[in-house]
Amino acid sequence: MNQKIDLLKKELAKAVIGQDAMIEGLLIGLLCDGHILVEGVPGLAKTTTINALSQALGLDAKRIQFTPDLLPSDIIGAQIYNPQDHSFSIKKGPLFTHLLLADEINRAPSKVQSALLEVMQERQVTIAEETFKLENPFLVMATQNPIEQEGVYALPEAQLDRFMMKLVVTHNSEDEELEIMRHVANKSFTEVKPVIDIQALHTLQEEVMKVHIDAELEKYIVQLISATRDLEKFGMEEVKHCLMFGASPRASIDLYKAAKAKAFLEGKSFVSPSDIGYVIHNVLRHRIVLSYEARAKGVRSDEIITKIVETLPIP
Amino acid sequence: MSLSIKDTSVKHSLGKILFLCLHIFWLQAGDFDYSIEVDKSQPYMKEATLVTVNLKQTNHDIVLLFDFDLLKSPDYTFQRIDIKEVDTYHAAEISYTYLVYPLKVGKVDVTFSLTQKATTDESVAYSFSGDRDNVKGLVTTNTHIDLPPLILDVKPLPLGTELVGDFALDYQIQKHEGEAFEPLPMQIRIKGKGYPPAVKTLYPKEGNFTRFTEKPFVQSVSTRQGTVTTVTYAMALSAEKSFVLPPLVIKAFNPLTEKNYELLVPKQTFKVQASDSSKLLDKADNPAPFILDWSWVETFLSYLVVFMAGYLSALSWKWQKKTKQKAEPLKEKIQSASTHKQLLQILLSQDKKYFTHSIKKLESTLYENENTPLKQIKKEALEKI
Repeated sequence: MNQKIDLLKKELAKAVIGQDAMIEGLLIGLLCDGHILVEGVPGLAKTTTINALSQALGLDAKRIQFTPDLLPSDIIGAQIYNPQDHSFSIKKGPLFTHLLLADEINRAPSKVQSALLEVMQERQVTIAEETFKLENPFLVMATQNPIEQEGVYALPEAQLDRFMMKLVVTHNSEDEELEIMRHVANKSFTEVKPVIDIQALHTLQEEVMKVHIDAELEKYIVQLISATRDLEKFGMEEVKHCLMFGASPRASIDLYKAAKAKAFLEGKSFVSPSDIGYVIHNVLRHRIVLSYEARAKGVRSDEIITKIVETLPIP
Repeated sequence: MSLSIKDTSVKHSLGKILFLCLHIFWLQAGDFDYSIEVDKSQPYMKEATLVTVNLKQTNHDIVLLFDFDLLKSPDYTFQRIDIKEVDTYHAAEISYTYLVYPLKVGKVDVTFSLTQKATTDESVAYSFSGDRDNVKGLVTTNTHIDLPPLILDVKPLPLGTELVGDFALDYQIQKHEGEAFEPLPMQIRIKGKGYPPAVKTLYPKEGNFTRFTEKPFVQSVSTRQGTVTTVTYAMALSAEKSFVLPPLVIKAFNPLTEKNYELLVPKQTFKVQASDSSKLLDKADNPAPFILDWSWVETFLSYLVVFMAGYLSALSWKWQKKTKQKAEPLKEKIQSASTHKQLLQILLSQDKKYFTHSIKKLESTLYENENTPLKQIKKEALEKI
């Protein structure tokens, strides 16, 4: 199975240079039926990665640029009247796809965000009186621009919880950027070809589910999540004032699934503590709510997660 | 020149026993005659003496004018109270009337200044031919006439006399009670006929009280009968404690009746309510004493302190950052890890990709029975930082 993953990674490397963390996060999301929130400045190959992934998997991919005047029907679809035969027909929106890039999701008003996030959870769309099941896989990669704060509608914590992971995409290294520059200038990017079909993807998803996780590690995961809710209980009195809310049970589920997927991507049949350690920041950083005092002091949620992992003994 | 003296006595119509002695000295010059009349030849010092000088033209061929007055002297004072003129053609007659107050006992010479101004009808007519824009002077031939002085035999006043004449005194005190240093107004008025009562000081300026005075207000009218004068002395008394104003006694002499009399202000008692001296004391210097104002230094220093506090606070962020960088807690943590598991926990918590290899080695040691020394993994991890 790992050969298929390697093949997929190689194919993606044809179009995307660097950004291993984003690709790995997308694959974890894809294997676990989760959705990914990406935070990063423009121009970090987010659209390119989604397109490359869809091509490599032979999947359909669409992109929605979220704007303040966007309406729910613009993404879901609508019933359209046909004057010739006096009938109504359903016009499906861009949501009907396998991979969806929701660019700058925080630019759209909350009713559009809610419509999208509901679909992400239910994986079905109701237009007029007709309900349509979305095809599997359905992965949403939403992006947020961390720089601009004017004219944006920040996602509420309840909706952020719907995202399995939040990836912080950084700039490429200088060597990678040099390579990108040369490839673009010489138009030497080769076409990405399908290497895995949907059936194979489903098989991979089933394989991920089979990855063994020890009961001790399962407890460890629950303890990690519990620690976010009661830092004092786990001996972290010095940072107890930093958190307003801890992670939800959805975080435990996503951490459990993500750790399995990570282990699978590493070619292992079992989950080790390192797999949990690799994904815990991505799973938790958007789910814990920092207190006002912590934000004033410039404390980041990643620092709290680091403190938790440092404190709780690994099995 | 011939001289004749005439004495007359006139009884006063109101029955007052007054006998005026009138002496007339007649003089004759080439162009005019003149006479001098005096109502008494032996007046008392400061007694009013009426002197009348009459001039009468005798040369009727010319136009005659006179310039006459009494000469000033420290032995007497005088006041011209009337001039009577009869301006007949070439027969001028003029009478000058004076009140003279001798100021010296014994022989007092009252001296005169007389200038005869002779001119012609043509000169007068010529002087009138001008107008206000073309005034023409009258051309006269002036001749100074030396007149012998009028000799008065002045009698002395009784000892201690301050006022000469018939005077009355009244006084007015608004209140006899007041607070400490409150001004207590008082007014004394002397009114009557005689030598003007120029008393400079009625009361001593200070005793157990302080006296504030104004310049006396004098109203005086002179007539042939003498000088009627009203002098008002306005003053205010002030004292810290109650005080007694001593009686005021002014000795006066009436030369007409030749009797002494006294003008009296009786003893006055004033009640003064003493006030708290601490309230009266002005504790604040006014104008304020000159003190060099250094408050700006304090203000400047306070601003400087605030500025430095802000500046250092801003810098402290950098210092803290540097301190943190210098401290490098992660390195210390890695160094202090005593077991493979502890080190794994530390490296996992960092979410750093460059620790992947070290983490794998640690897991292999922990879970797959490989045996990589902890020191070696530590070294490898430290090199990655």
